[in-house]
Amino acid sequence: MINEKIVWVKIKTKNYYSILTKLSDIGVTLYDNKKNKEEILIKTTYEDYQRIKKFLISYKIEIVDTSGFLKIKEIIKKYLVFTLSSILSVIILILVNNLIFKIDIKSSNKNIQELLERELKKAGIKTLTLKKSHQKIEEIVNNILDNNKDTLEWLEIKYDGLIMNVYVTEKTILKKEEGYDKCNIISKSDAKITSLNLYRGVALKEINDYVVKGEVIISGEITHNEEIKNNVCASGEVYGEVWYKVKVSVPYNEYYIKYTGKNRYNISFQIDDNEYLLFRSRISKKKEEKTLLYKLNDFSINLLREKEYVLSTHKLSEDEAYNKALKLAEEKVKLKLKENEGILYKKVLKKELNDSTIYLEVFIVTKENIGEVTQVLGGNQNDPKLNNENNE
Amino acid sequence: MNNLHFKEFFKNFLFDLDNFITIYDDTLHVFNFNKLNKLSDTEIVLTINNKIVKIEGENLKIKQMTKQELLIKGTLKKVEFKYD
Repeated sequence: MINEKIVWVKIKTKNYYSILTKLSDIGVTLYDNKKNKEEILIKTTYEDYQRIKKFLISYKIEIVDTSGFLKIKEIIKKYLVFTLSSILSVIILILVNNLIFKIDIKSSNKNIQELLERELKKAGIKTLTLKKSHQKIEEIVNNILDNNKDTLEWLEIKYDGLIMNVYVTEKTILKKEEGYDKCNIISKSDAKITSLNLYRGVALKEINDYVVKGEVIISGEITHNEEIKNNVCASGEVYGEVWYKVKVSVPYNEYYIKYTGKNRYNISFQIDDNEYLLFRSRISKKKEEKTLLYKLNDFSINLLREKEYVLSTHKLSEDEAYNKALKLAEEKVKLKLKENEGILYKKVLKKELNDSTIYLEVFIVTKENIGEVTQVLGGNQNDPKLNNENNE
Repeated sequence: MNNLHFKEFFKNFLFDLDNFITIYDDTLHVFNFNKLNKLSDTEIVLTINNKIVKIEGENLKIKQMTKQELLIKGTLKKVEFKYD
């Protein structure tokens, strides 16, 4: 029985005893049997089932269950599509998990990006290829660094799901200061010089001198007795007072956003630059907060939180509007300023009011670094016109 | 005589010539039967060599069956032997 193929056979009959007598006559082995209303179920061997089919031709006979290898075969046959698709899914899943869908080189330098793309391609790393092992990646990284000693300082490759991130640090080569052989320091704008630190060259202006835009402050020509002895690249720091006239206007009615506390959630699908929403948005005035749920190349799924708001108005008093306009004028100028630069003085030159808006014209004096290095190409280098042209 | 016994034993061992009926509470085991002549829920008639064995009872059912053996379940009332 161990090696025999056992089957449960259903025979349609109303007479239990007659069929068993017949089965005994043809020598069928019966391991078990169950009697139902209009059928009998017998447990027998597959060979006996074939014998029953051969001799009892007037009966309706069919296998209802099997065991052992036959059962496995039956199950596979029954669930063939499911089994095949499951196997295929697992294969695809393994394959997809081990594929590189995107190579993201974390560098803003286009040359470095191209260089790394080339090097990775040479090493067999491309999109839609299988991921390399950690050891192989290390080998590739070392090779790339060896081949590009002058350009690359550090390189790391990390997998983030299906994306391969390439982190790179360029080798920084200190450039020769400004890179010019002959240069002057000129004024960036019309100003009054307040401080002058000379490192190299000849100062043509002094503190409290007024300069116009493009005028040379420190010259690279070293002269002695009106004779040019040497030409250097002038170096120094020049600060001066620069004047601005700023016009600003501020409306009396100030609008601000007030959140109602009503939130709605939505799902958005983004393909390239097109965004599609899963549900229609029911909030007309809203601010959206986006949380990335899934990203694959240019396709992404986001969770959107839509916060409803209403616009509220607040009417400013004349003083409030005036102060706000003054602050706005200052901020406009501050945008141009760098470190160690600042506003020295401000004065309102003109103030106009109407029903809805306040207009101010503000005079602002700043302290700025007004020196700018310009290369000397030839001719009279102290000519502001020529310097401006060179600078442009 | 002893030789003859040994020969019979050996023949029986090899070819299963013996036949017997074992009766348990609600089960009857028949070994080495020739033919199942009649089968119903109250009566089973078998041929064993040249004997007719008639088993009477209630709710008689064949539990297992091979070419040689038979396992009958049910309420047994009477087992009768008849010679042809």
